[in-house]
Amino acid sequence: MRAALIYILVFLSVITACHKAYYAQSYSSRHYAVGKNDMQDSSYIRFLQPYKTRMDSTMQIVIGRADTTLTKAQPECTLGNFVADAMLQAARQVNPKVCAAVCNYGGLRVPYLQAGSITIGKMYELMPFDNALTIIEVPGTILVQWCRHMAAAKGWPVSGISYIINEGNTVDIQINHRAIDEKATYLIATNDYLATGGDKCNFLIPLKATPCNMFIRDVLIDYVKGLSNINKPLHPYIENRVRYAE
Amino acid sequence: MLNRRSFIKKTSLGVGLLATGAFPFEGFASETKRLTILHTNDVHSRLDPFPQDGGRLAGLGGVAARAALVSQIRAESDNVLLLDAGDMLQGTPYFNMYKGEPEIKAMSMMGYDACTMGNHDFDAGIEGFARLLPLARFPVLVANYDFTSTPLENKIPPYTIINKGGIKVGVFGLGIELEGLVSRAAFGNTKYYDPIQAAKSVSEKLKKVEKCDMVICLSHLGYEYETNKISDKTIAKETQYIDLIIGGHTHTFLDSPAIQRNIVGADVVINQVGWGGVRLGRLDYTFGRKKDAKLYKSNSVNINKETSVD
Repeated sequence: MRAALIYILVFLSVITACHKAYYAQSYSSRHYAVGKNDMQDSSYIRFLQPYKTRMDSTMQIVIGRADTTLTKAQPECTLGNFVADAMLQAARQVNPKVCAAVCNYGGLRVPYLQAGSITIGKMYELMPFDNALTIIEVPGTILVQWCRHMAAAKGWPVSGISYIINEGNTVDIQINHRAIDEKATYLIATNDYLATGGDKCNFLIPLKATPCNMFIRDVLIDYVKGLSNINKPLHPYIENRVRYAE
Repeated sequence: MLNRRSFIKKTSLGVGLLATGAFPFEGFASETKRLTILHTNDVHSRLDPFPQDGGRLAGLGGVAARAALVSQIRAESDNVLLLDAGDMLQGTPYFNMYKGEPEIKAMSMMGYDACTMGNHDFDAGIEGFARLLPLARFPVLVANYDFTSTPLENKIPPYTIINKGGIKVGVFGLGIELEGLVSRAAFGNTKYYDPIQAAKSVSEKLKKVEKCDMVICLSHLGYEYETNKISDKTIAKETQYIDLIIGGHTHTFLDSPAIQRNIVGADVVINQVGWGGVRLGRLDYTFGRKKDAKLYKSNSVNINKETSVD
């Protein structure tokens, strides 16, 4: 009986010992461009159809057009200038004293907005977050700090502000074409994500903030519709708002 | 094709049994094993392909095309893992309208084996993500978040172990620091812990205690930074037991996987496939009995290379 038990134990330990490890010896890698070869699993098209039908009924509505492709790039880009300009315009309707607008570069969620029709859906893709327009009272010293923060991040979209990035720092900060006054307080339009400290903007948290009760996305939609109403296409330009020192 | 393959499988099984005398040892006939790892990251709710608007991503991506590709690869290879490195959610109106339901359902249909959580997977709040979990037929892994006193408590394990054709694979997840990135309202009581410490202890456990043959880290930390912010490269450098890091967050399109020496000088493979589901990554590993061999990289060919992607 005892011998049998020992035999079983030995047998079990042999089995366990025989779960010998394998080691990775070699690997190869490749990647596929998904959608390049027209191969589709139609069961997924059917699965998505009910979601898509309801979504497209609102998202495919055309609200205007761009006559150039807007692109996302740093330090300054046409996509960012569009967003910052729309924020500044909307905030000025709430308070005409707002002098500038700032948006975080990472908040632009598409690499480009193709020339042609602009749909509501494209504005959702550009700005999918329910971030709200917020006006903050920024002392000049904090605005300098904010611009340095933007410069360290290689440039964020701005409207009404210009600055030059010099080795990660900022020089020649101008607010509406005038040198920044560190003793002044500026009303700046931004989104509630940054105003509450998002993207490492914790220095904005203590500032007085006035919410405008408008999603940034709706601000963009209204801006495009506004242009459309006066038969103008969307066509932002690079204006040397943010550039590198030479 | 399939008939031939099943014939080979049956034959090799027979040979294997003969070689081992049907004894419960692992057969000498199967000293070399293969594992295929497919991966995505930062798909960001791109269920449809990018629209045919003349843009440079036009027609790329979409779950129907990805699923077809995954099925084809599974039909050709035996041991396939399908993994995602987070930010499955947010980015198209699908998410605004349905809060992640079609994204997670599609991933379940496709047979994902595991994923980790990205910062945008908090965008419907912790409650929102907790509501999606019952739809996920795969584990969501994070080793460095503590979800105690949140709706995700005890629902996000640090790691999982998957046996694929005789290879024991340990997979764990790492999440990025939430403070300053995700709104407090969204992440609530979630606590973030140092991913280096978490990676060290979990990977050691998987290799030494669980005896995994391979340890894969699904990371949403980001590929690399100019600052000293913790990235996939940091994790690779500072740890000892990770074989492969599937990364995300920085939307990096790596032409081929990067190699980083770990703390004892062994090679760690790091890969990331951009964003939006326009690219599917694939790594084919061979395994053998030889210990401490230098990991050999064979040639790779990329299929249907995209035009310029961002």
